[in-house]
Amino acid sequence: MSNTAQLRVGFDVGGTFTDGVLMQGRDVLAKAKSLTTQDVTGGIVEALDRVLEGSAADPKRISMVSLGTTHTTNAIIERRNLNKVGIFRLGAPATTAIPPLTGWPEDLKEAIGGHEVVHIIRGGSEYDGRDIVPLDVKAIEDACEAMKGKVDSVAITGVFSPIIADHEEQAEKVVRSVLGEEIHVTLSHRIATISLLERENSTILNAAVITVMQRAVQSLKAAVAERGIAAPLFIVQNDGSVMSADYAVDYPIFTVASGPAASVRGSVYLSGIEDGVVADIGGTSTDVAYIVKGFPRESSITVNIGGVKTNIRCPDLLSIALGGGTIIKHDGDDVTGLGPESVGYNLVRLGTAFGGPLMTVHDTAVALGKLDTRLDVFKTDFVTAPDKIAALPRARVDNAWNAIRTTIEEAIDKMKTTAEPVPAIFIGGGALVVPKEGLAGVSQAVSPDHFEVGGAVGTTIAEIGAYAEGVVDLDVEDRDEAIERVTRHAIDNAVKAGAIRETAEVIDVEEIPFTYMPGKREKIRIRVKGKVLQ
Amino acid sequence: MSDRRSDPRRILADWGIKDFRVIDKEAISEITLGASILATGGGGDPEIGLLWTYKVIDEGKEILMVDPSDVPDEVQMASSACLGAAIVLTEKPPSGSVINLAIRKLEAYMGRPIEAMIPLECGGVNSPVSYAAAGEFGIPVVDVDGMNRAFPELQMTSWVTHGCHSSPTVSVDDRQNITVIDTGDDDVLAETLARRAAMAYGGISWIATYPLTGVQMKATSILGSQSIAWAVGRAVMRARQEHLDPITELLHSLKEERGVEGYRVFRGKIVDIRRDFGSETNKGFTLGSIVMEGIDDYRDQTATLDFQNEWLNLRVNGEVLCLPPDLIAILDSETGEPIRTDIMKYGYRGTIVLIPAHERMRTPKGIEMFGPRHFGYDIDYVPVEGLNKPRR
Repeated sequence: MSNTAQLRVGFDVGGTFTDGVLMQGRDVLAKAKSLTTQDVTGGIVEALDRVLEGSAADPKRISMVSLGTTHTTNAIIERRNLNKVGIFRLGAPATTAIPPLTGWPEDLKEAIGGHEVVHIIRGGSEYDGRDIVPLDVKAIEDACEAMKGKVDSVAITGVFSPIIADHEEQAEKVVRSVLGEEIHVTLSHRIATISLLERENSTILNAAVITVMQRAVQSLKAAVAERGIAAPLFIVQNDGSVMSADYAVDYPIFTVASGPAASVRGSVYLSGIEDGVVADIGGTSTDVAYIVKGFPRESSITVNIGGVKTNIRCPDLLSIALGGGTIIKHDGDDVTGLGPESVGYNLVRLGTAFGGPLMTVHDTAVALGKLDTRLDVFKTDFVTAPDKIAALPRARVDNAWNAIRTTIEEAIDKMKTTAEPVPAIFIGGGALVVPKEGLAGVSQAVSPDHFEVGGAVGTTIAEIGAYAEGVVDLDVEDRDEAIERVTRHAIDNAVKAGAIRETAEVIDVEEIPFTYMPGKREKIRIRVKGKVLQ
Repeated sequence: MSDRRSDPRRILADWGIKDFRVIDKEAISEITLGASILATGGGGDPEIGLLWTYKVIDEGKEILMVDPSDVPDEVQMASSACLGAAIVLTEKPPSGSVINLAIRKLEAYMGRPIEAMIPLECGGVNSPVSYAAAGEFGIPVVDVDGMNRAFPELQMTSWVTHGCHSSPTVSVDDRQNITVIDTGDDDVLAETLARRAAMAYGGISWIATYPLTGVQMKATSILGSQSIAWAVGRAVMRARQEHLDPITELLHSLKEERGVEGYRVFRGKIVDIRRDFGSETNKGFTLGSIVMEGIDDYRDQTATLDFQNEWLNLRVNGEVLCLPPDLIAILDSETGEPIRTDIMKYGYRGTIVLIPAHERMRTPKGIEMFGPRHFGYDIDYVPVEGLNKPRR
């Protein structure tokens, strides 16, 4: 890798803490934690200053600044600072049975401007590229005239635009001719895939948070420049890869799941394992992700953001109620259940290892001698009441350990897509208290260093992910040619997001057949990744 | 005739019927969940149909369901459905008036008013669509259908096996293109033409089909089909709310509502999926098979299921446990949500439940039209009761 010598700084803006790291290659040169601020920038700047001080690095040598943030998600959930959105669907005379904003919470509808600026326009395409009907340009013009002064941005969703985007692009031109070149326009085919209502929802939400993202990027750029850093700014997207900050301003919705994605990517990066399972074990729950070529596998189900169903691609995470504080339910020596209740932060008061009345996963590990070192991040010893631990019946401890093992094995098995054993990476505060040796279906178990800033490390992996899709009729077009065509499109998208074209490679090819339709039609979706730095 | 059909209450009053059920949002969600389970892996995603029905209800259009025995013999009724590719529907929902157009054209072609809706099948798409269509057109729904499951082709109904026909069928699209299909007693040709029309329109069509009279409906339908779906859906929803085992509740509801025994025969994880595009060219179906590895009580057992949009047959350790037209459902063991052939993935875990097909689906003619041999198996049909012992 030629970028090993270059310095990168990365930040993971969480709900409570902002983590920062300074990286050179895979080495963590400095790390810092600060309190997250409402404006995001304040917390980042504090972490940045401390990382720079801690390493005495020359800011001019930094070649990349990146951050992961759920700023946009919070704005949607709190209905705060949202844009007023002019909404166009290109699909009449079809689609009118279910108008835009169906099923949206009332307060969110109000926050983005309500029903007044919603229009279903004649237009859109069939799956084979024909027009449903020609686009009604006049209707768009009239609607835009009426929208003047009432909207900050515009969302345009055309039927089958992921297959053929010309009506959306034509509509964008009309909108700009009336509302001005500077108006923000989000086109649905750049946001999500087939499934009109979910894609339309995703598109409208994107248009609603453009200004929120724009402000964050502007103030960050200024803060970074002030410190003598000339490097470009990148934002983490939902697959855990990055996109250039300028691109992110147009596609803020791609950051809604950046937090967990960055953690997964960070652990992959630190461990050097690119295919396998990642288990992020916390105090009350465990998130299991499956990694393919360094990226978390995407979820195929709809994602709810602020009460709205979307089809934004997010990491496929399996959450199970198992963490360090999970309570072991038992009847004598028989274990009758693991959780789902957890003592959480009260572990140091309620857990047996601390003289408390309850037996937890943590206590089981302590009893079996699995925790013999002290980690600074926990700011406590693992056990303060060794006599209580010694008094636990050995049979019960063994039964609990086996139950924990079965639960973890089952979760890993659910996420695997192959019967072959795969590597497993364990991160999170609970990583030390679960069985890792001899797990069924696992070829090797790893717990990398620096897992407590894994999210921040994950933001510094200088890779960009992108995708494209198309519908092909295999009776007409050769499969390999079709895949090549869609791949070219995906690489173009990666380059738009900031990747270097020559570094792009395919990470996933997905083929979905059309059911109840004669012929050999299928949808092809291709994901690619490319590098940011040479 | 035109003013009367905007009000299903007036139609029922004209028939002298006082007993009927009002379908509200809760009812349609329960019916649709039950229908999706009975759809035996096919039938498509329920979302569009449900949202449409919710909107119809929100607009104050009443949806009423009536018992088949209360419907007068001479009343003319028909079935309405979406025919075509499910994936196109998720991208191109209909206009609210599209089925009205199909029904009106069918009325015009036949010269008779259509006064009631008979649902075609049990499925995620077409079950709620028949209710939305009934609400939009202003006619009551009859508590019947043509299969009490989902099947891939239009002619695979108890109506056809008992001597009725899908013709005349009217197929329309949102641009108001209209195709009238009248093939007399050739129901297979009607299916072929209807599917070609759907393709030519752009992947889906909206049809008004199976114009039956009251007397025909009573003699040839799966009676009480909607109540069965409703009972199944209600049982599973209640199980979710009360943290009961959805499979147990489902089997219990079948016993209560239909008086039949269903079978819980396997629990496992999908470990292999083999999809195969039409071995017969251009039929329009996704074919393939899956392998499930047993878990819990079924450890060391292997289940193999073939599918053609719907699950077709089940073998466990090589032993045949279910053949068409009997029903196979793979259900999420915790939620009871059906796992469909178009969304299943490696690693999905579920419980396999087998349900006897309705008696009207099991006549010699029915076994000929949609039994094992029709789907290419060189096996005689044996009812699921003969292949399984009741298990608790």
